[in-house]
Amino acid sequence: MWRLNRVRHKAGRQGGSSEEARLKRREHEKALRQARRDRQLVSKRLLLNEDEEQPEVTMDTMSGEQDVVSLLYKLQHSGPERETHLRALSNTLRGPSAQLSFIKQENSMHLLVSLLTGSNAQCRLHAVRCLHELSHSPHTNVAPACLPATPYLLTYLSGQSTKFTELCLYTLGNLFPDSDIVKEKLLAQGIIPALANCLENQRHNLSVVEAVGFTLSQLLQAKDAAEKIIPQVLASSLPTQLLSVLTPDQNFGLAPAIECAWCLHYLACSSEDNRELLARGALLQCSSLLLSLGDAVAEGKKEEGMELLVCPVLRCVGNLLSLCPVDSLSTQVGDVRLAAAVCVLLQAYPHTQPALARESAWVLNNLTAASSDFCSALLSLNLVPGLIQLLPFSQGINTMVLRVLANIAHKKKEFCVQLAQLGLVSTLCATLKMADQEMVTLSLEVLFMLVLSTQQVADEFVRLGGVSLLEAIQYNSEGEMRRRAAYLLEHHLLTHSSDLTVDNVP
Amino acid sequence: MKPGGKCPTEDSEEPERRQTEAPFSFTPQLVRLHKDHELFEDGDIHRHMYLQDLYISQEDEPTTSVSEFACHISGCSAVFSALEEYEHHYNSLHRHVCCSCRRSLPSARLLDIHIQEWHDSLFTVLAQRQDMYQCLVEGCGHKFRTSDHRKEHLIRIHKYPPDFRFDKPKKDRGTRETKRPPHKDIAMEEVGDVCESEGVCEVMCDVLSEQPEPGESMETVVEEAAAHLTKAAAAGEDAGLSAAVHSKECLNTETLKPQYSYRVPSTVCFGRGSIRGFRGQRGRRK
Repeated sequence: MWRLNRVRHKAGRQGGSSEEARLKRREHEKALRQARRDRQLVSKRLLLNEDEEQPEVTMDTMSGEQDVVSLLYKLQHSGPERETHLRALSNTLRGPSAQLSFIKQENSMHLLVSLLTGSNAQCRLHAVRCLHELSHSPHTNVAPACLPATPYLLTYLSGQSTKFTELCLYTLGNLFPDSDIVKEKLLAQGIIPALANCLENQRHNLSVVEAVGFTLSQLLQAKDAAEKIIPQVLASSLPTQLLSVLTPDQNFGLAPAIECAWCLHYLACSSEDNRELLARGALLQCSSLLLSLGDAVAEGKKEEGMELLVCPVLRCVGNLLSLCPVDSLSTQVGDVRLAAAVCVLLQAYPHTQPALARESAWVLNNLTAASSDFCSALLSLNLVPGLIQLLPFSQGINTMVLRVLANIAHKKKEFCVQLAQLGLVSTLCATLKMADQEMVTLSLEVLFMLVLSTQQVADEFVRLGGVSLLEAIQYNSEGEMRRRAAYLLEHHLLTHSSDLTVDNVP
Repeated sequence: MKPGGKCPTEDSEEPERRQTEAPFSFTPQLVRLHKDHELFEDGDIHRHMYLQDLYISQEDEPTTSVSEFACHISGCSAVFSALEEYEHHYNSLHRHVCCSCRRSLPSARLLDIHIQEWHDSLFTVLAQRQDMYQCLVEGCGHKFRTSDHRKEHLIRIHKYPPDFRFDKPKKDRGTRETKRPPHKDIAMEEVGDVCESEGVCEVMCDVLSEQPEPGESMETVVEEAAAHLTKAAAAGEDAGLSAAVHSKECLNTETLKPQYSYRVPSTVCFGRGSIRGFRGQRGRRK
């Protein structure tokens, strides 16, 4: 696996300063979160040289800038040593100030483009490597300077050299988000059809597939993607292609599937009309992938990085479900064992990745809200006890899980009876005491449904001390809770309860 | 309260009708999330950390968190990490509530005594002719003519501290309680009746204990108390038998007898200081 292998090396080397590393990661994470809140979360990828194991820390000094100037001069005037100079240039261009220096030099890009399109294959490779380094620049004014090269990069996407194509792709993917001008130009130059063709022709070449996926995902995250980009993508062959990549390759690993899954997620959540995706069998494909992922986890084969794939696939299923017409649900989703798979995922992650557990719970909500078959599957496959055990977990997990249980209770009285038999009533006695108001209100709703279904529930609840619990809730500052608690007491519980403290009143 | 008094039929004769009246609104809902939704934040961050070569498998950084429990009583901001703590809190401080004046007593027996002495007009009548004031210590059995006598007994025989907050004699104006239906649908804010004297129940207010208000008249205090009750609107807080919040004030009020204070503290604390108050008071008296 391309990415993760690299990272493992990195982590290994930093054994000594792991506390420092952790702190740095946390800082970085904070920055990313803020960027997301500002709707400016963008990442670039750097494809390392073959001989590199991790990005070398470049000495970003004045000498870098001077090197650029001198190398450019040498390139303009030399003959056979061009390759060497180009290679040196690409190394130098790793440094941000060298990058700035490069674009300031007159005709530098012109020269690079001519080398990019020249007859020397090695030079072309080094030239594209230079462009790639430039594309990775943190300075946003570098990208527009690379525009002269982009039509050629796009043309080369239909070429056959793997490494070269990869570099072109990642370069384009890095350049795209940097400025609106670049976006406009690339779209006008036909980046979407080019990506579609590339994917079709290089379907067998999984590192290229991964690169296409990355680049496409950069396009799809743009702010105005919904108007300008997504319709075109949906109209092309890309969705079908992406879907075909979803199943992870045994040898190559998860990386291409991860990229394509994220593309599908961006497509599924931003288009109002998912018929296009549904028509291509997206829900079916994603569901069956989710099933196999769930099975793998259940068998203990939790691959490293698997959550990077599980996450976008979950999201696809969740959003596609919300727009899928109910009558076609069974054909679209097919196997009710999907519920079991999602439950497995839900239970695998609450400790390490609560976000993933939360998203799984969301998918379960959509499954159970949409279809009574899934509700009964949860019961018949004996998945409910596991769900009940998740009710202590906060961060949005328990509210979503309780919502799922409420969906089940809402369908039929028989389901309520079964839920009660599984011990839900005593669990509700605990959830009713939680600090989270949504939990308490939902608990009251579920309790109401259970109580309506059978007298035994009311009896059990009273036996468990529920009356005083509801009485306490009547003192709560939230009117919503008080009303529900009062109603339950008056209409259902106090008619037969002898357990009243207020009976002491003379 | 008459259980079932409001609802004519208990069982499922007219379930639909009842359901439309019932204040429950849950329906299953399909939830659609756009790409910038906050539920997706963590997953997105994880994805981008991976893109930027900062991926680390999460095995060593468990980030699970468990829901807390919180006391429901409005005004009580107690929060707990374990269910048993909640139970203990609630049972210690919010049970045995007098439904007339909302005071909370630490035990059923004391609640009984409280109700009897303060909300039972028959008691008042009988007390004029016989010993009605029970010793507060369980099992003692003695009864006394006045609460003063009882207090003396408690100090002498049962070694209660002299500045212990005893029940005060009833005032001439009589109690202002009304026979409100103790069950409150929503109008928690309507608490108007307040026990004017403390009786067995103690109302704790940490804040107040630092600020004695010597010159206040009875009416003002009671009004304030009522006002505060309307704000807090919850079961009265009670520190039980460990008293002495107002011990200082007791001694300072000129117009009243030194050992007792007729005043209701101007803030009725329903829990903000309750836990501390309940236990802290014992400590303070030393």
